[in-house]
Amino acid sequence: MSSHREAPEISKDPVADSTDVYAFVSPDRADTVTLIANYIPLQGPAGGPNFYEFGDDVRYEIHVDNNGDGRADISYQFRFRTQVRNPATFLYNTGPIESLGSQNWNRRQFYDITEVTAHSASRIAAGLPCPPCNIGPLSTPGYQGLADAAVHALAGGITVFAGQRAEGFYVDLGSIFDLGDLRPFENLHAQYGLNVFTGPAPGVNATNHLNVHSIALQVPISRLTAKGHPTIGVWTTASRQRVRLWDEDRGENVSSGPFRQVSRLGNPLVNEVLIPLGSKDLWNSLPPSDDKRFAGYVTQPGLAALLPALYPGVFPNLAALTKAAKPRADLEAILLTGIPAGLIPGFQNFTGTVLADMLRLNTQIPATAAAKQSIYGLLGGDLAGFPNGRRPADDVVAIELRALAGVTYPLVDKSFKPDAAAAKLTDGLTPASVASGYLNRFPYLGTPYSGFDNPS
Amino acid sequence: MPTPVSRRSVLRGAAGAGAAGLATTALGTTALGASGSGTPEASPPRIRPHAAEPIVVHVRDAGSGDIEVFAGTSQTRLRDRDLAARIAQAIR
Repeated sequence: MSSHREAPEISKDPVADSTDVYAFVSPDRADTVTLIANYIPLQGPAGGPNFYEFGDDVRYEIHVDNNGDGRADISYQFRFRTQVRNPATFLYNTGPIESLGSQNWNRRQFYDITEVTAHSASRIAAGLPCPPCNIGPLSTPGYQGLADAAVHALAGGITVFAGQRAEGFYVDLGSIFDLGDLRPFENLHAQYGLNVFTGPAPGVNATNHLNVHSIALQVPISRLTAKGHPTIGVWTTASRQRVRLWDEDRGENVSSGPFRQVSRLGNPLVNEVLIPLGSKDLWNSLPPSDDKRFAGYVTQPGLAALLPALYPGVFPNLAALTKAAKPRADLEAILLTGIPAGLIPGFQNFTGTVLADMLRLNTQIPATAAAKQSIYGLLGGDLAGFPNGRRPADDVVAIELRALAGVTYPLVDKSFKPDAAAAKLTDGLTPASVASGYLNRFPYLGTPYSGFDNPS
Repeated sequence: MPTPVSRRSVLRGAAGAGAAGLATTALGTTALGASGSGTPEASPPRIRPHAAEPIVVHVRDAGSGDIEVFAGTSQTRLRDRDLAARIAQAIR
């Protein structure tokens, strides 16, 4: 979660595995939006000597749809290139890395960015350096300075960063994947007759002290939106060339052929928990404009049917709703079309009738001041939070669990009364469960955990 | 929209190409689109393969002569029973 190892094929290809997408009006640059795509899940910070890096053979993209057709109108393509100074040593660095140009840094990555529209493909940056991974006090002293040096200002008011960050997504994977257990309510779980839980327990953040690789862009809103369409749809993809061949003479893989998409992510948890196992790899290969074929998994979600079975007697109203087999128009709006005007006072992020899984951000909604933010986003009355885009600290697990449990169904059927437990669902975690914390400036995700200190 | 492919089929493609051997014969072209499925239609111009880049041949079906040829970021699909038969013969 939210899309870490979510499908069988991509789980074997972590370098191309998208894990989270964020899109929000930048709190400190109100005329821009920040788009972040994370890759390479669950990185142990001490994973040397070949520390984590982007794939030179992967084409990473962040897409923006600004007319509601579920197709990209603007795409930012990132291609990485690794350079090794000294192939005769096994070391990532041969001394302290005191700057991005350090002679002690043996294995560096650089990247190019191409902005693609329907009319043009423009190289907007070339040869930008990534920061190193955070190794420890001897190898990467003053890490924050190295990371700051890897924030690049481009022409047109664009800012970019690509490199390692602390995982900001918090989730109790250990309990959720143990047959839908939520520790704060585990005494209410059916437990399959095993009776192993006798009372509630606090959540455990499975992603704590782990890192990811982030591609972060800050782009003027005017560059991304179309006239009369303030809401944008955002998603990321990773593509590989069709053929990968082991070259035994060179001792490495070589790639050939056109790029084809192997990973996709818009809204958190869609492919993870809504799309069934047999369709996950296909879903990853398609654009959002094809999502009509998967709409049934959103409007008749299996997890909504599971909750009353896993927690007997806790969700009687949800059970009745599921039994009635009424399509969940609320979930369709949240995840596939955006929320139309008139349902939530002062808010809409509707993009039209095309069913497409995109992270929809109404760019006319200003960022909420930090002190007034709700981690429950729209459900908490905070119009600048998920599912109006997504901020790094939003509790998307709780928001989606509550929505699936029926909290949002009254938006489309005022006669429905959600179960009392639905609005309390959580895996027991908050942003405080993320040890690194978050930055209040670009790229907003926290300083990566160092291998020296983690695990401790 | 391009034909959906999974990671498994990519790897199968590579394995198939290996089984069929590498061909460097100049072949007729009916190039397919090279854009990713999420990218705007006007994707960057295709990169022409350099002479040093490998050309990978994937005989999808030797019986019908269904052959895919990959080079650089391009692919071409051919139907050539004679060529497929010669490649199949070479690998035996």
